[in-house]
Amino acid sequence: MRAVDAAEVAPATYGWEIQAQGLKVRVGRNRMAVDGIDLALGPGVHGLLGPNGAGKTTLIRTLATVLRPTNGSLALLGESAGGRLDQRGLRRRIGYLPQTFGYYKRFTVREFVEYLAWLKEMPKPEVPGAVQRAIERVGLADRADDKLKTLSGGMIRRAGIAQAIVNDPAILLLDEPTAGLDPAQRLRFRELLQEIGRDACVVVSTHLVEDVAAACSDVILFSAGKLVFQGTPDDLAAAGGASDVGDSPIERGYSALLGHEQGKDSW
Amino acid sequence: MGVLPGVKSPREPDEERLLRRAARGDRAAFEELYRRTAPWLAVRLRRRCADDQIVAEVMQETYLAVWRAAGSFAGGVAGGSAVGWVWTIAVRRLVDAFRRRAHHAQPPAEMRVPLSAPAAEEEALAGTLGDSVGDALRTLAPELRQVLQAMVLDGLSVRETAILLGLPEGTVKTRARRARIAMREALS
Amino acid sequence: MGHVSEHLLAGYVAGGVLPGDQEWAVEGHLEKCGQCRARLAGAAGPSVTDLVGGVWAGLEPHLAAPPQPRPRRTVAWLRGWATPVMVPWLLMVIAVGALAVLLDQIYDGSRPSFVLLLSPVLPVFGVAASWTRGLDPSYELTAATPRAGLELVLRRTTAVLTPVLAVLLAAGWLTGAWIGFGLLPSLAFATGTLALGTFVGIAWAASILIGLWLGALVVPTVSFGGSVLLAPATWPGWLAAVAVFAGFIVFRRDTFTRLAAQH
Repeated sequence: MRAVDAAEVAPATYGWEIQAQGLKVRVGRNRMAVDGIDLALGPGVHGLLGPNGAGKTTLIRTLATVLRPTNGSLALLGESAGGRLDQRGLRRRIGYLPQTFGYYKRFTVREFVEYLAWLKEMPKPEVPGAVQRAIERVGLADRADDKLKTLSGGMIRRAGIAQAIVNDPAILLLDEPTAGLDPAQRLRFRELLQEIGRDACVVVSTHLVEDVAAACSDVILFSAGKLVFQGTPDDLAAAGGASDVGDSPIERGYSALLGHEQGKDSW
Repeated sequence: MGVLPGVKSPREPDEERLLRRAARGDRAAFEELYRRTAPWLAVRLRRRCADDQIVAEVMQETYLAVWRAAGSFAGGVAGGSAVGWVWTIAVRRLVDAFRRRAHHAQPPAEMRVPLSAPAAEEEALAGTLGDSVGDALRTLAPELRQVLQAMVLDGLSVRETAILLGLPEGTVKTRARRARIAMREALS
Repeated sequence: MGHVSEHLLAGYVAGGVLPGDQEWAVEGHLEKCGQCRARLAGAAGPSVTDLVGGVWAGLEPHLAAPPQPRPRRTVAWLRGWATPVMVPWLLMVIAVGALAVLLDQIYDGSRPSFVLLLSPVLPVFGVAASWTRGLDPSYELTAATPRAGLELVLRRTTAVLTPVLAVLLAAGWLTGAWIGFGLLPSLAFATGTLALGTFVGIAWAASILIGLWLGALVVPTVSFGGSVLLAPATWPGWLAAVAVFAGFIVFRRDTFTRLAAQH
């Protein structure tokens, strides 16, 4: 039994979980890594695609409230992000997995997820059940009490995914989560994403095109800090033609929109 | 003089003690815990999900999690109820199972047969619900009560309730608000 | 306490709609009452019994693996105060501090106190170990969480200052003198590192403060036998410094919840 407070059942103050207008984020002295984008993301799995250096990681970090926007507006779950206001309440409802996420080697998987659950200020009675559920959802139940340093790269990344989902976030941000996962694990991971995306807003930054095609309801193409395309994977595939570079329809659409030409030396 | 054999100490409820022993690897204690709680859990889950296959899957996942994580509970917050803990695990597994499936396998309204009205003399549960609260609940429309039950009794969040009952989140919030207002009016 | 009537129990088990508020009352009661759960098991039909039996059959093979060991509560609690990365540095602080106490005992009275000289710089190393991005692998993950910010700063700084305090108390107890003053420079250097770190990064701040320590405290002590700044009469100045630095930390606490723009 628990009490239900008024704030929880008040009508939603937002139409979109993530809403940005003219968002700009400066990195370093001169570079605008995110250069004026508009976003309106609701529940579902949104794939963030783009070449390296496009600003995907910067965007995800800004959405995770780890970087402050330089200009423009950003609203997460109806609350304005990026000001000097206390973001603790907002952060309790966000899950984040950075691209290069560090971990303490001596922790076991369970201890790691529990430590992050504590950092996320989850209520203490809920932690054991939630940690167990997160560990089982990523398929690490039989390795839950092994030290992280004994695990393979893919397992460590799965432990990272477990900490991101342990607090059942309304916004889940994953930066290259499938690095190190074998194809079978990637398949299971996509199923997990779709499960979570039923009622949460999931943003996955990836450079693996097949991840995007299979799991995402929505694709965002990002290049040089600007939003080049937003639509379904089918729309992206439709943007490409036979003359474009790529092995699959989505890859062809990708290179068509980014202006890649066969044989030219653009990396 | 001394305690009669077979009489358990009234200090600690049984299920918590069984859970503690299971945490140390005592399979017999776990089996006993299962024997005592599985029928209740099965019935309670079946009232929320018409598909027995899902119920079986959820129960298996739940008790496996209970076996594995028993140590975390036993070492956790003192005074928590083991049975309540099993339920929170089970209901979230049920919500996850619904998330995985496109359709919602909850009992369709027509299948639920209304119970014949009890005889006037038959006592309900005296003392478990204060009379005023019970009266207030009785005045609620069934769909409002259903939402309130999922949130308060089952302990689910708005999003989880929406998945469990197959409703949009906005509808869940609206019904919960109306239920709270109605309860407050009835109780004042 | 009343129990569930047979009639209600049978209706509940059969899946029927219970009138009014009975469903709520029944479910709430069943969660608490083992006796009624047992009665429910008896009243349940064969489909439930089969279900329960089938689940157990599927469950049994998995029970061969033992349950997870109990979590280590004290270790988990300690991790709320100091990260594993900080531990070697804290041990170093204790070792150096103990050495200083020992040296003070050996060179009793003829030289300025080693403990007093070293105690300001010891917490700087601990603070650097807590917050330097290069040293702490989980820096980004931690910075993104709700608990990051002032609470974590206070916890880790307390963990850093505790060994220093222990060293000072030990020295005070051995010499019989009141070395309470020594805590103020330590506090000032620790908060100074944090405050300066909100502007230039903790690694640079630590280096600057170590440089200040060398210039303003060590060099005068070595050359002139003592530093003006370490005279006990200067305690109001140190206290003011602590207050100013603490003010900066509170005002700029956001930096502990974010990555700097350069990263």
